[in-house]
Amino acid sequence: MPSVSELGALRGEILNPMPWSLYLALKQLFPSGKRFPFFTAISVLGVALGVMLLIVSISVMGGFGREIRRMIIDTQGDVQIRGQGTTINDVSGLLDALKTVPEVVAATPFAEGVVLLEHDRRPAFPAVQGVDLQRIENVIPLRDYIVAGSLDELDDDSVILSSQLARSLGARIGSTVQIYSPLLLEKLKQDEVLLPRDLRVAGVFEIGHQQLDSSVVLVTLRLMQDLYGLGDSVHGVNLRIKPSADPDLVARKINAGLPFNLRAGSWMEANQDFLFVLQLEKNMIFFLLVFIIVVAAFSVTSSLLIAVVRKTREIGLLGALGARPSQVAACFCFQGLFIGVAGTLLGLALGFGALAVRNDAIELFTRLTGSEEALLRFYQFSNLPAYLATSDLVLIIACAVGISTAAGLLPAWRASRLNPVEALRNE
Amino acid sequence: MSEPILQATGLSKTYLSGERRLEVLRGVELTVSAGETVSIRGESGSGKSTLLHLIAGLDKPDTGTLAWEGSADTGAARRARFLGMVFQSFYLIPELDALGNVLMAARMLGKVDAAARARAASLLERVGLAERGHHLPAQLSGGERQRVAIARALMNSPRLLLADEPTGNLDEKTGESILELLLSVAAEQGAALVLVTHNPAHAARASRRMTMHAGVLSDV
Ligand SMILES: Nc1ncnc2c1ncn2[C@@H]1O[C@H](COP(=O)(O)OP(=O)(O)OP(=O)(O)O)[C@@H](O)[C@H]1O
Ligand SMILES: [Mg+2]
Repeated sequence: MPSVSELGALRGEILNPMPWSLYLALKQLFPSGKRFPFFTAISVLGVALGVMLLIVSISVMGGFGREIRRMIIDTQGDVQIRGQGTTINDVSGLLDALKTVPEVVAATPFAEGVVLLEHDRRPAFPAVQGVDLQRIENVIPLRDYIVAGSLDELDDDSVILSSQLARSLGARIGSTVQIYSPLLLEKLKQDEVLLPRDLRVAGVFEIGHQQLDSSVVLVTLRLMQDLYGLGDSVHGVNLRIKPSADPDLVARKINAGLPFNLRAGSWMEANQDFLFVLQLEKNMIFFLLVFIIVVAAFSVTSSLLIAVVRKTREIGLLGALGARPSQVAACFCFQGLFIGVAGTLLGLALGFGALAVRNDAIELFTRLTGSEEALLRFYQFSNLPAYLATSDLVLIIACAVGISTAAGLLPAWRASRLNPVEALRNE
Repeated sequence: MSEPILQATGLSKTYLSGERRLEVLRGVELTVSAGETVSIRGESGSGKSTLLHLIAGLDKPDTGTLAWEGSADTGAARRARFLGMVFQSFYLIPELDALGNVLMAARMLGKVDAAARARAASLLERVGLAERGHHLPAQLSGGERQRVAIARALMNSPRLLLADEPTGNLDEKTGESILELLLSVAAEQGAALVLVTHNPAHAARASRRMTMHAGVLSDV
């Protein structure tokens, strides 16, 4: 432990070589002999609260955004090839052609549609995906989302239901459901009577996305082709690409070699509108919360302006001692900068601290209000996701420090324009 | 002969207040040599403070020239070394203790080193405040504050000390001791002194006595 006098000497070593404007700024923020610097503490706290709220909100928004992106990629692949108004007839030819694109890691064909599903006289109209069991797992980590039964149980006479669909139909593993395809209706028109297909429930999946979990069923590609009378054709191919590759660029590259009636699109392109809304929401939150810092900065400005008026005579004296106006300005600028930096650091600490205990806090909150179930039902999460992109972090820091420093500019300008003679007359 | 510390010739200053032109200084001539003490008396509003501000380079005269030891450079950087000022209302920085206020003058010149600290401490001792270095202005009496201000004015070993009614806010006895201190310390430190005062007894202590009347400075 260093002794008090050693600490004093250390303080001296830091303070002594400082330019006087910086020294005086620090002394005005932390006056000697004053036990608690209220102005400094309150100003720093104002900025810190803004930074904290920004960090928490942008992180949670970022966490949701990332979850949603993960869901999209996990269900659609990085790039999707679809027929433009047609089906893809030569699947194996297309798959062979894709092997020559170095960025493509894996591909899996699919067919999709809507069916009428019935269990126990309860009907539903889920979307249906026919998946190629040999290839699907190279592209989509389907197995991770199976919550009951098994992917291995899926065959041409069985079906995997999304969790909420299974719940609303009252179907369990091993139950039998009837499926009616649009093809059946076509045949009905021609007075042919066809019975619905009986399918066994082989599993239940849950992705964590309201829409996907409420009304989607998975069957084998073979069965889907039967139900829709597709023969060997498919509706599209999902691709997994190398993690380092840019999906948009890969899609463009693939398009160059595709016939005119097929088109590759990245997951970003396919979900453009949705991603735009996500980004817009995040920008709005940012824009609104930044105003907390702006308001904090206004209060710093007004306090410093009052200080300039209050200190008019001392500013005059500084002139008599040989201070230049620019140095007087620097003294007030630095106070804004200090409040900005200190407030930002404290805000970061508070923000990341709050994020670290977010799940405990939510648990406590829901337990106290008895709303645990509602939360799960409407938001489908028990753990609040959080993710802060480096660019967002840098933006928050830059805004907080920049705005608080700007808060010192007006007082600094006023102080530097004080005429020392007039200031000294101000007895 | 060496250059005079201060040479002012034909200084004039006019303020415009509304329609009226107020001629505050009219062709002031003042030469101060090294070691000299000059006292200036004059009724209120005669332009004494205005003259000190011009001499200090804090304000520009309308006409006339000013030279500090022969040089016309009266900029902020030179002011910090060349002269020290003492005022009626002390003007200590309330956030700094006595030692910090004295050292502020050294800070203006850049780094504060051990030698500067030693000098500040010895000046405080000289003005009788050896034990009060860590007291804030608010904890000091008026006379004690003025002593700190004198130590600060002398910190950078100025050639010229300007004092504008330094005893104006003090009782007679305290004022007496402050004047005593000012004269003796200025002499010890080799600084010439220009003292503005209303007190005839104080003015009489200077080596040269002058009066200001309606903007004209003349020897008594
Ligand atoms: N900025 C200004 N505008 C207009 N008039 C001014 C200004 N500054 C000073 N004056 C006037 O100049 C005159 C001289 O003022 P100065 O302060 O120099 O007087 P003084 O001799 O120091 O008086 P005192 O003994 O009361 O201190 C006064 O009449 C004052 O009102
Ligand atoms: Mg005056």
